Amino acid sequence: MKNLKFLLGIFALAFISSCSSDNAEIDTEYPVIDISVTDAFPIQCSTIERGKTFTFKATFNDNVELGSYSLDIHHNFDHHTHSTEVTTCEMEAVKTPVKPMLFISNYTIPNGVKSYEATAQITIPADVDPGDYHFMIRLTDKEGWQTLKGLSIKIL
Amino acid sequence: MKNALSIYWKYCFLLISLLVATEAVSQNKPSDKKPEIKELDEVLINGNSAEKRKKEASLNVETVNSSFIQRNLGGSLMQSLQKLPGVKTISIGSGGSKPLIRGLSFNQVIVVENGLKHEGQQWGADHGLEIDQYAVNRVEIIKGPSSFIYGSDAVGGAVNIKPLPLPTRNSFGGSVDLTGKSNNAQFGSSINLFGRNENWFFDSRVTTMDYGDYRVPTDVVHVYSYAVPLYKNHLRNTAGRELDFHLSSGYSGEHFKSVFYFSNVHTKSGFFANAHGLEPRNVDLELHDKSSRDILMPYQQVNHLKVGNTTSFQLGNHAFETQIGFQNNFRREYSHYVNHGYMPPIYPKDMYAPQDLERQYDKDVWSFSAKDEFRIQNHQITVGSNVVFQQNEIGGWSFLIPSFTQFNAGLFAYDKIELNEKWFLNGAVRYDYGKIKMKSYYDWFQSPVSENNQTELEYLQRSQDLTKTFDSFTWSIGANYNPGKLSLKANLGSSFRMPIAKELASNGVNYHYFRFEKGNPNLDAERSYQLDLGMEWNQQNWSFQLTPFVNYFPNFIYLNPTSAHDIYYGAGNQVFEYEQSKVFRYGAELQTRYYFLKSLSAEIAAEYLYSEQKSGSKKGYTLPFSPPPSVLLGLNYEPQISFLKEPYFSVDYRFTAEQNNIVPPEKKTAESHVFNVAFGSKVKTGKQDISINIQIQNLFNTKYLNHTSFYRLIELPEAGRNIIVSMKIPFSVSR
Repeated sequence: MKNLKFLLGIFALAFISSCSSDNAEIDTEYPVIDISVTDAFPIQCSTIERGKTFTFKATFNDNVELGSYSLDIHHNFDHHTHSTEVTTCEMEAVKTPVKPMLFISNYTIPNGVKSYEATAQITIPADVDPGDYHFMIRLTDKEGWQTLKGLSIKIL
Repeated sequence: MKNALSIYWKYCFLLISLLVATEAVSQNKPSDKKPEIKELDEVLINGNSAEKRKKEASLNVETVNSSFIQRNLGGSLMQSLQKLPGVKTISIGSGGSKPLIRGLSFNQVIVVENGLKHEGQQWGADHGLEIDQYAVNRVEIIKGPSSFIYGSDAVGGAVNIKPLPLPTRNSFGGSVDLTGKSNNAQFGSSINLFGRNENWFFDSRVTTMDYGDYRVPTDVVHVYSYAVPLYKNHLRNTAGRELDFHLSSGYSGEHFKSVFYFSNVHTKSGFFANAHGLEPRNVDLELHDKSSRDILMPYQQVNHLKVGNTTSFQLGNHAFETQIGFQNNFRREYSHYVNHGYMPPIYPKDMYAPQDLERQYDKDVWSFSAKDEFRIQNHQITVGSNVVFQQNEIGGWSFLIPSFTQFNAGLFAYDKIELNEKWFLNGAVRYDYGKIKMKSYYDWFQSPVSENNQTELEYLQRSQDLTKTFDSFTWSIGANYNPGKLSLKANLGSSFRMPIAKELASNGVNYHYFRFEKGNPNLDAERSYQLDLGMEWNQQNWSFQLTPFVNYFPNFIYLNPTSAHDIYYGAGNQVFEYEQSKVFRYGAELQTRYYFLKSLSAEIAAEYLYSEQKSGSKKGYTLPFSPPPSVLLGLNYEPQISFLKEPYFSVDYRFTAEQNNIVPPEKKTAESHVFNVAFGSKVKTGKQDISINIQIQNLFNTKYLNHTSFYRLIELPEAGRNIIVSMKIPFSVSR
């Protein structure tokens, strides 16, 4: 019986010690992509002209620290979906791509920033296929939480 | 946060009070009656040996038999075992799942079938376990580090599917299993035929399964913020088919036994069409919703072949056993070609892979093992060795992991000391050596690379020729004390896991999760130290079992979501990179059963797990796929009815707490309340008894999320109400 008590004592000890914790506050909030500001561009259903340069503009926010973002323009001639917007845009008929515009780029955000006005110059070559495209914004915070925004745009 | 802390303390308090309660209970004088379990002869033997095993093994072992599986039949083996506390699954659809033991899964839990370590593509969350649950007679689940028995990978535990018991002498018979499920309109059948004369025997089985899209209690699913409508609650394209063959045959004499095993498991199953691929194409709803039984793209097709021989013989005091095995796992994943990164928009005509073959993995595994078991006084000693060689080829137009070959060898010694009837000591040491050789891979398309303001097109290298070697020494010590009704056990052990090719060298897109995964060639072998305790109380009308553990990893391998994006292959997607961090975990399972009457009993099964990363980029966070605390309350009624044999009626209520302990990219999961009902009986028909089992899972068609489901990230609720009817009709031919 003595042995038993000893063993049970160890069990109890193991538990009590395992129950002490120094749980630090961890970040579980996603960063926010804000395209509701007046001069944000593009927004859902925006149109962009070939052979011209436009300026991407959006506001990013995070509760702790922003990470980085990437922009991606790819064709939507096959009407695939990942738009995160509620409104849908008028689309052309499905077509086969010949020389679709493909743009992928990642951008840094200065360290230690909670709010950031992102701007980027993007040039649309004159010889790409016009039509329906997706404009994807991917924003992370320092901890790796990611927010997506998929916008439908038209290249004229 | 305050709320989370208070919940945390509540659990701690609960555990401590449980301990105090057991201490008080254990002071009662133990009486000497044992609970009788009414079962078939065959099962009774198993039951006793399982009991003995539990009392002598210092690790926590749970054993279940085929009647448990039949009563709790789920879509796949692990789903049928989920009622055991500490055992969960990562499920993919209705027909596939992988084991999650105390929150660990993938390559940290091993599955052994007929003594052979099952080698599929365990690393993938979408890759179910290729095991036919109808062919399973007895499963032993070790909840704890078992590296000293099985070598690398058994860090989190092991699921050991035992060989079938041999048919009795001079018998010839079989059985037919029929299963129907309402939720996914599944029909399954399994036919078994066995025979034996004095010494020679055979046992064969054919299993077929055919199921449609499964149904969830919702009309809309949000796939990464995009709303996907569901047609008649059907989860688009999750139908599947399975066809399995088994044959074992051999000779069994007094001092010599040799058994050959053959099995082939083939499955074809669809992925939820709206949630696969880098850009989930606007799914052709009309085409997909025309039939709920067809399997369209995207889908996977897996074939797992196993051939092996186990030979055992007695030489004096020594019991030798040798084992040779070969396995082939051939997996193909089909999906429409979608260019991403700088892939050409139109699939080239002269490509090496068919246009729809997204990935292909072809794995060959040869294994050999030998062991010798002998007694010296009160020591029961086992020494042994095993050698495994595997070759992995990849195919398809996408890249995630490189081709590789791998060699592993291990040497172990295990000693069980019977001090007296009450005390057992266990000790084990093991040495392992492993070598992995990965092959280089270049993109089949060019990407623009800018250097010094000059942009050039290049075939990017995804992986390099890389050889890594690892070796490890692991140990385990434990004790068992069985004074009558009470049994206590304690075990302290180390275990290890060699990093896999995916962790060392992946460099591509995970199409299920929209992320770019990057290996880390500098990873060390993962180590783990674990203290396991167990206490059990068994008396006539009451049983109780508590199994706490504490676990520490100095270098847990973990896929860390970074803040970076990949602009080439990853098409701007977030980069996840393998890292190592210190991890501390603890938890416990509790099981208790009380008999109000001989025919009426209540059961409680609860589990709790806490994990925390103590260093690295995600310091303070938990580990992915951490199961929330849950409690299962069950009532079981087994009346005496003259024309029925062993009828039962049971109601289960499972409460799963919310999981707020998450790590990117997980989401917090709300609590859930799910009810299941099961009833059944055996019906006497001549010499054999037909058994019928009926289950209603998710009785109230509750809409809830499972934190450890593969589809959790896209907010997909679990399957709705499911009525499962299964029947086993045995037959025998007298000779």
